[in-house]
Amino acid sequence: MKTIIEPFKIKMVEPIKLTSREEREQLIETAKYNPFLLRAEDVIIDLLTDSGTSAMSSEAWAAMMRGDESYAGARSWYRFRDTVRDIFGFEQIIPTHQGRAAEHILFGVMVQPGSIVPNNTHFDTTRANVEFNGGEALDLPCREADDLDSDYPFKGNMDIAALEKVVAKNGPEKIPLIMVTVTNNSSGGQPVSMANIREISRVARSAGIPFYIDACRFAENAHFIKRREPGFETTATIDIAREIFAYADGCTMSAKKDAFANIGGFLCTNDAELAHRERNILILTEGFPTYGGLAGRDLDAIAVGLCEILDEHYLDYRLQSTRYVVQHLIDAGIPVLAPAGGHAVYLDARRFLPHIESLQYPGQSLAVELYIEGGIRSVEIGSVMFGLDPHTGNEHPARLELLRLAIPRRVYTQSHMDYVLEAIGLVWERRNAIRGMRIVTAPKFLRHFTAEFERI
Amino acid sequence: MVTTLSWAEPYKIKMVELIKMTSREDRLRAIREAGYNTFLLRSEDVYIDLLTDSGVGAMSDRQWAGIMMGDEAYAGSRNFYHLRDTVEEYYSYKYTVPCHQGRGAENILSQLLISPGDYVPGNMYFTTTRLHQELAGATFVDVIIDEAHDAESEHPFKGNVDFDKLDALLDEVGAEKIPYICIATCVNMAGGQPISLENLKRLRRWCDEHGIMFVHDMTRVAENAYFIQRRENGYQNKTIREIVYEICALSDAATMSSKKDAMVNIGGFLAMNDARFYERACALVVVYEGLHTYGGMAGRDMEALAIGITESVQDDHIHARVGQVLYLGRKIRAADIPIVNPIGGHAVFLNATKMLPHIPQEHFPAQALSAALYVESGVRSMERGIVSAGRDKATGKNHRPKLELVRLTIPRRVYTQAHMDVTANAVEEVVKRRDEIKGLRFTYEPEMLRFFQARFEQID
Repeated sequence: MKTIIEPFKIKMVEPIKLTSREEREQLIETAKYNPFLLRAEDVIIDLLTDSGTSAMSSEAWAAMMRGDESYAGARSWYRFRDTVRDIFGFEQIIPTHQGRAAEHILFGVMVQPGSIVPNNTHFDTTRANVEFNGGEALDLPCREADDLDSDYPFKGNMDIAALEKVVAKNGPEKIPLIMVTVTNNSSGGQPVSMANIREISRVARSAGIPFYIDACRFAENAHFIKRREPGFETTATIDIAREIFAYADGCTMSAKKDAFANIGGFLCTNDAELAHRERNILILTEGFPTYGGLAGRDLDAIAVGLCEILDEHYLDYRLQSTRYVVQHLIDAGIPVLAPAGGHAVYLDARRFLPHIESLQYPGQSLAVELYIEGGIRSVEIGSVMFGLDPHTGNEHPARLELLRLAIPRRVYTQSHMDYVLEAIGLVWERRNAIRGMRIVTAPKFLRHFTAEFERI
Repeated sequence: MVTTLSWAEPYKIKMVELIKMTSREDRLRAIREAGYNTFLLRSEDVYIDLLTDSGVGAMSDRQWAGIMMGDEAYAGSRNFYHLRDTVEEYYSYKYTVPCHQGRGAENILSQLLISPGDYVPGNMYFTTTRLHQELAGATFVDVIIDEAHDAESEHPFKGNVDFDKLDALLDEVGAEKIPYICIATCVNMAGGQPISLENLKRLRRWCDEHGIMFVHDMTRVAENAYFIQRRENGYQNKTIREIVYEICALSDAATMSSKKDAMVNIGGFLAMNDARFYERACALVVVYEGLHTYGGMAGRDMEALAIGITESVQDDHIHARVGQVLYLGRKIRAADIPIVNPIGGHAVFLNATKMLPHIPQEHFPAQALSAALYVESGVRSMERGIVSAGRDKATGKNHRPKLELVRLTIPRRVYTQAHMDVTANAVEEVVKRRDEIKGLRFTYEPEMLRFFQARFEQID
């Protein structure tokens, strides 16, 4: 059977408000041509992010009702801690209100001015948190990652030769940790192979550098390994996930992705002394160590979500439904990053709009046009997000100019995706008339969230 | 204004949570495992949980319905606009930056306004608030009236600011070294004691005169408004909602832990009237908390908060809320047990200095009393004395607060009159055995906010 069937049915719906094209032209102008500044109710299909936007299951909602809101030592905390330990295998578990808080605490403890943090590719808040602490966020993607058409199965891999060079040159004195992001979001939601993870772990351990995993989409990555990497065909995805973490010394997690939660995250390590220092910061900025800034019900929802996400029927459906969109775009000749990643579709804005140069933000223009065309909200991942060096204030073109259409988990149907494809096709037909953008105002860190634009 | 003497609840129970009963042996084992620190107990080993009123309130069916109306969009959630509009309507502040809880708002406020070497006056310290100020480079200066430090004083507004202290600070360091004054309504560490509107108005004039910003720590503003309605001339016929608005309108900005008054399990905000300040807060909130239209809160929690705000300022609600606290306090006082007077809005504070005269302050009498109360009855309380006060950041010596208290904090809408009776009886029982209670010493003392995670052993 070729039909992709969801291993769930719908139990609760949220109505969508429809808008006209004229209304949307007005609305995006009011939002200063930044989709982040649109009101959610003015969006028809919201593909801004897959973070915190998933549909929870009836089981997770039931767990929410069991939430123990006691300030200290709540039952919800023990259920959460035991589930995280079971899957991730780390001894020390620190809950946080979301992933960026886990990153903030981790880098606050480990990164000094002058530190270098290698990663396959840092995502926006990760990069910002490294830089906020005075460190350098160094991206070391594999060569294949830059070839948007390559069918290489693990384009999320880190360049091991480059990593060895950086480690040999700087050593553990300047490199407080090595990180790998699974899947690699900024490079198109592409997976990292187990072989690559083993290699990174080997380099890190032989140099005495802690190895951390940015685990947001760990289940999608584990399932790609099962489906693509020789030797894992018959291994259960949960065991693949466990093996990934067994090579690492710790992880950060945004539970808003691969735990179906609307809020929450955590930080793990096996180092009790480090965890002790991390909890001291946690208490100050997040909350007491048994709730970390989360309601008890959210700890329970995460515990349920972490178990559900590793259901292999769900993961097959998830990866196939993303591929469905990508394949249709390829068939229509529309430039898109291939092969399909796990959580999002990435249009190649550089080739979609070759007449717009990088620092006139082709990805941003494309996001604006797609909103006007179909009320679809997406996000630029290119020079707006990564083009500004906050230390020097210099702007330079990003490695890739992408437009990300992130697919929330278990939220939209195939007919929603067909509508999205139709809208992209209509923008593609009128691409030559699309103009670039310029930034009117923007903050220094994480400027893409609140920057204001105008059309050139 | 509510005129009845009864404090009968203006709600009935719609959902319950079962409580596990424990034996004295169970509790002895549990408190030893917890290092005599009630924060380290498992909640399932607790019978009546009076550790805190923060995040432990019972939401209403309307708030739960709001939970189901969560718009979890990453940007521009409709729940954010509802929250923002509600804050302006009820609290007067034009701009709202959601934060995952109150300390998130304090972190952003302190980082944005404080320069190293500054001084921040306030009406008594609060643990996390002072630490955020200190980490940003400021020194906290207590400008509360002396009566606040006297557990027996019957002053009706022990949260008031002493202007002589404030002027003395101004003369000493100058207005340019005072970025803002931080004023709490219903001062927690003083025993949930209110500040009067007269004092607040005078403070507004003082701030205008010296060009100093007035920041309102508003987590228990509605309870403060209740005491104003009861005690301050000219406010008897005003509603709680009107008084709350009037209080807020006197300040320039506010930090809110909505886990208290607003009866949600998670959430808070930073609010202000200045557009520039708002812009700067939006740029910083995204680093620590989340995009400025959710600030680390789920959409559903913003909705529950917006609804909770409207419920928190109802006269009937506050009358029952404070009525229950007064009921417990009067019952304990009637048994000749020393407590902080007048009884505050959110908690009854036992005076451990008087209850355990055989334990010197450096052996942590309040901590010992809190542990003993748990063993006696399964009631969980919190130390608010020398352990909570921590050490002086310059000398490293223990702060020695005049108030050595155990706080019995009443969660909103959770416990019944019978639970309060059990609690009062438990306090009486523990007093009968007071000679058996031993002092404590640290076996582990954290560097910051030590009360949360410290461990102790008994001194034989």
